[in-house]
Amino acid sequence: MKLPKLLIIDDDAHLRESLAEVLELDGFECHQAGAAKDGIAASAKLDPDAVIMDIQLPDSSGFQICQELRKRSKTTILIMMTGRFLSSEEKKQGFELGADEYITKPFDLAELSARIKQLLSRNSPKD
Amino acid sequence: MAPSRNRGKLAYKLLFWFLLISLVPMGFVGWHLVNITQQSLRKETLAMQESLAVGFSDTVYKYVTTFRNVLNETAGLDDFVSMNAGKQRQYLNRILLVHFAIMESSVLDANGIEVVRVGRFLGPHPDLRDLRNEEIFTAAMGPRGQFIGRLERFQGLYPAVTLSVPIMDQRVSPPKAVGVVSARVSLNGLSTMLEMEFPSSGKSQAAVMTRDGFLIAHSDRREIYRPDARMPAEIEKVLSTQDNMKGGGELTLGNGKRLLGAFSLIDKLDWIVYVQQPLEAAYQTASEMKAQIFRVLIWVVLFTALLSLAVAGHITQPIRILKEAADRLGKGQFEDLPEVVTTNDEIGELAQTFLAMSESLKEKTGELIHAKQELEKFTKFLEKRVDARTRELKAAQDELIKKERLAAIGQMASVVGHEIRNPLAVINNSIYFIKTKLGSAGEPDAKIAKHIKIIESEIQQANGIINEILTYSRQRELKPEHVLLNVWLEEVLSVYPFPAHVLVSKQFDPKNPAVEIDTTEMQQAVRNLIGNAAEVMPPPKGGTVTVRTVIPEPGWVRIDIVDTGSGIAPDVLDKIFAPFFTTKARGTGLGLAVVRKVIDRHKGRVDAESTVGVGTTFRLYLPTVS
Repeated sequence: MKLPKLLIIDDDAHLRESLAEVLELDGFECHQAGAAKDGIAASAKLDPDAVIMDIQLPDSSGFQICQELRKRSKTTILIMMTGRFLSSEEKKQGFELGADEYITKPFDLAELSARIKQLLSRNSPKD
Repeated sequence: MAPSRNRGKLAYKLLFWFLLISLVPMGFVGWHLVNITQQSLRKETLAMQESLAVGFSDTVYKYVTTFRNVLNETAGLDDFVSMNAGKQRQYLNRILLVHFAIMESSVLDANGIEVVRVGRFLGPHPDLRDLRNEEIFTAAMGPRGQFIGRLERFQGLYPAVTLSVPIMDQRVSPPKAVGVVSARVSLNGLSTMLEMEFPSSGKSQAAVMTRDGFLIAHSDRREIYRPDARMPAEIEKVLSTQDNMKGGGELTLGNGKRLLGAFSLIDKLDWIVYVQQPLEAAYQTASEMKAQIFRVLIWVVLFTALLSLAVAGHITQPIRILKEAADRLGKGQFEDLPEVVTTNDEIGELAQTFLAMSESLKEKTGELIHAKQELEKFTKFLEKRVDARTRELKAAQDELIKKERLAAIGQMASVVGHEIRNPLAVINNSIYFIKTKLGSAGEPDAKIAKHIKIIESEIQQANGIINEILTYSRQRELKPEHVLLNVWLEEVLSVYPFPAHVLVSKQFDPKNPAVEIDTTEMQQAVRNLIGNAAEVMPPPKGGTVTVRTVIPEPGWVRIDIVDTGSGIAPDVLDKIFAPFFTTKARGTGLGLAVVRKVIDRHKGRVDAESTVGVGTTFRLYLPTVS
């Protein structure tokens, strides 16, 4: 069985790695990128099922990546990570640009894993 | 008010004019009367004196002729011619005995030789004189047939006159003068008569004198006995130069004494009778009249003064009352003014005008006072407005400062929160990884499991703190919703995870007031308070949290959140709403600050009341909407 492919884009390497390794325990194939540019490139190459990206990146805003990735794929799950409160406006803007979910650091990992799986299951063909 | 210096009081002016009007004609008439009286008195007195003088000159002449007649009778005796000297002496002695005024008497023979001489003070054998060339002899022997003259001071003291008449021998025809009988007569009798007529107690005096000034008689006998007995020079001068038989006039003596004098000439003797009276005695009636007029004038003055005072008082009294009233008005007393009499004259009109004026003044003053009060009110109002505005500005400024501070805190909190959340997330991930790994390898060590739990709990704690700070500093738009307070509170309480040892009591006002609130923020506030309440009532004792809604006054609702905890000390109670103030071992001190911020944002009010050992009540006041 092919594992669901996740791409994690965050400039914090520890966060990236720890999150990846936790999610790998839950049965995901995790890839990582440290910057927006790398993330977009990796996404193009890997075609992940889901992308978890930080809202703030050194070379770009998470929303821009979100927009870029949504243009390329209508089905990829796009989850936005944030360390602060987002206003309704920001959230609304994000959803309009194609975001599927927001998660706030630190994460409830069990919940996150379950959520991703639930979102992925919707996209999977009923077989 | 001092009376005007140059005008005087009305009463005195009236008095002055009354006096002038009444006294001047009276004085004029009086003066004229006195003058006329004086003139007529003078005339009358002079006439009277003159007639007295004339009368007395007769008397004097008669007095003298009486003695001449005695001599004539003696000489005319039929046998006197033929008598011898002894007989004649006897006879003469008899005459001396009868007539005391005759001092001495003699008989001269045809040759003018004294043949008989008898006298009171001569002694028994007086000298016999040869008088042939004397007037005594010649005049008597001459055609006049008599001699009256040779006035002298007998013994140097009192006046005497010598008379002589011829002794006619009737035996021959025609009768022939054969000798002379003479007598020296004292004239003291005249003075006595004058004295009787003009007593010394009176003012009038009379005198008899010769033209050359020999004083024969005087009503004041002492004048006669003076060594140089003469009339005063002024009188003598006037009298000696008179050609008229009689007359009179006023004359002034050297000492300034004024007299009225009249005279009558005894032409046969060439003597003058003079009567005088001091002017003031003559004018006595006039003087009395003058005094009377003066007294009357005094009375008139007094009467006029009193009358004019009374009249002026009567006239000026209303004016005085007006003045008094005006004085009071001047001092600003509009009540209890003296009663102003309104008579039917100009003063009455003045009083009416004054009353109208005082009314108008009162009204105007009232208006002024009212205006002043209004102004003061308005000023106070303005001051209040300014104060209020200043307070508002201050509050706004404070608010601004607070906002700026909060914005700064928010900014910082945002950055810090974000930066801390990353490592927190990493730790969380890592511990989750470890826990999962350990779990898959069988039952982990109990202590390790416990420490993993501690780490997880601390992560939650740290995240809670970050959340609180971020919540407090968050700048977000208020989104008011119309809710029924009781319903909304019920919902909030129903989802709150109360621990088992805390009982919840709900006491909601049956009116179920409606409010406009941002439910997110208000829920945060209520939850903070409930959370605090639960925290201060730890197990095992626990306690009750009472949530109550009350309508304290129309337009407001109050939410009470009451705990039965240990209470808060008064000095602490003052500070509990300040940001970052906390009594907890682990707390941001932002819970109640958030409550206050939220309630402030809803234009409400929050306070707390606490009794140590009993519990604490937080009261949130919110405006209601219909």
